[in-house]
Amino acid sequence: MTFVEILLTLLKGAGYTLLITFSCAATALVVGLGIAMARELGGAWLSALLSAVVYVLRGVPMLVLLFIVFFGLPGIGLDVPPLPAMMLSLGLISGAYLSEVFRGAFAEVSPNEVLAAQSMGFTRFETLRVIKLPQMIRFAVPGIVNELTTVLKFSPFAYTVGLPEITKQAMALVATTMRGIEIYAAIGLLYFGIYRLLLAAVQLIEKRYSIPGFAQE
Amino acid sequence: MALLEVKNLVKSYGDRNVLDGVSFELEEGEAKVVMGPSGCGKSTLLRCLNRLHEPTSGAILFDGEDVTDPGVDVRALRSRIGFVFQNFALYRHMSVLDNVALALRRLKKLPRREAEERALQELERMEMAEKRDAYPAALSGGQSQRVAIARALAMDPRVLFFDEPTSALDPIMVREVVTLINRLYLDNVTILCVTHDLNLARHISDRVVFLDRGKVYAEDRIEHLLARDADPVIDEFFGGED
Repeated sequence: MTFVEILLTLLKGAGYTLLITFSCAATALVVGLGIAMARELGGAWLSALLSAVVYVLRGVPMLVLLFIVFFGLPGIGLDVPPLPAMMLSLGLISGAYLSEVFRGAFAEVSPNEVLAAQSMGFTRFETLRVIKLPQMIRFAVPGIVNELTTVLKFSPFAYTVGLPEITKQAMALVATTMRGIEIYAAIGLLYFGIYRLLLAAVQLIEKRYSIPGFAQE
Repeated sequence: MALLEVKNLVKSYGDRNVLDGVSFELEEGEAKVVMGPSGCGKSTLLRCLNRLHEPTSGAILFDGEDVTDPGVDVRALRSRIGFVFQNFALYRHMSVLDNVALALRRLKKLPRREAEERALQELERMEMAEKRDAYPAALSGGQSQRVAIARALAMDPRVLFFDEPTSALDPIMVREVVTLINRLYLDNVTILCVTHDLNLARHISDRVVFLDRGKVYAEDRIEHLLARDADPVIDEFFGGED
């Protein structure tokens, strides 16, 4: 088996890796934004409750949560398929981290601008949507890229619940060919390629929405 | 009837009265300056008047309606008061035109085109139309203040509040903004301005409300205040200027 043939076989797994990464990243973005916005709008109680949830999620090892969801929940009659199990573990944990990224980015929005919007008659929700959110997302881009990279790097755990992503394919190939160094080096290259693609996509979006003089000080 | 009538306004934080029974009136077309030492409650006063801060007690009659009433439409109240902040508070992620048109579109519900036309008129009035596509980061302090004023005027407010409009500017820009506010004053725009700036007060105001430790210490024309003999509070604030 040539190196190219190995690469082509592994590419089949890349589709799953991308699917897992995007599903978990989308879950993380929704959860992270939801938590951060609820903390902005909600009162002290809601904020305290959400901070406790975030605290717990950040402390739980990803694989443990994945096993609880995938192997534990069927014990109480809840069967969760592999991909949703990844979203409920990796997606949730990543969402908790992202909510902290967003919280920090919200804090960078000038309180004067918020006050100006409220003094014009904008409600808290409108101020959040029109003034704070568009600025916060721009401040948060570096943190979002970091977290998306983490999601990609945690995607191999999906093999433990039977999803045939790149690492799973690699393990199968090594078992039949015994060419561990080449194959694992190849998947290292593939992950790096996917990472570069993600980065390029984010940079493209960032460029499209860049504002002269904003978030550059 | 005065446009704005403040009666015995109190604002407390814990057991500290930041405003301690403030009363004054503002007539339509009048320009009034609120002065006083730092921490005397000037900015709190402005923020209570448009309910950004909740007054503890007292009454604020705006066009005869007590706006401290819990049932009052705060949103409608705020849309009748233009507020220009010390640090301009322009929205950094929006162009100059969008800064001015935003409230017209979202609050007055004007179609985009109409809102932009109206915004452009105000920018022209402030001689800032050519900067319509610029972002706040590219503007000087004086230009930013012009845009902030255009943004406030675009909503056709009954009164314009200024909170220390010159304190973030260098002397040249201060002159520019003083001239600008003076022009509004001559145009009969009703103005309530909080400032430390004696020069600004001289140029734009009919009368000065002088606050000290949360109370109205004096209300008079600026030249009369300056002419007061041996008034330790006034002397200390103005540092012997006349």
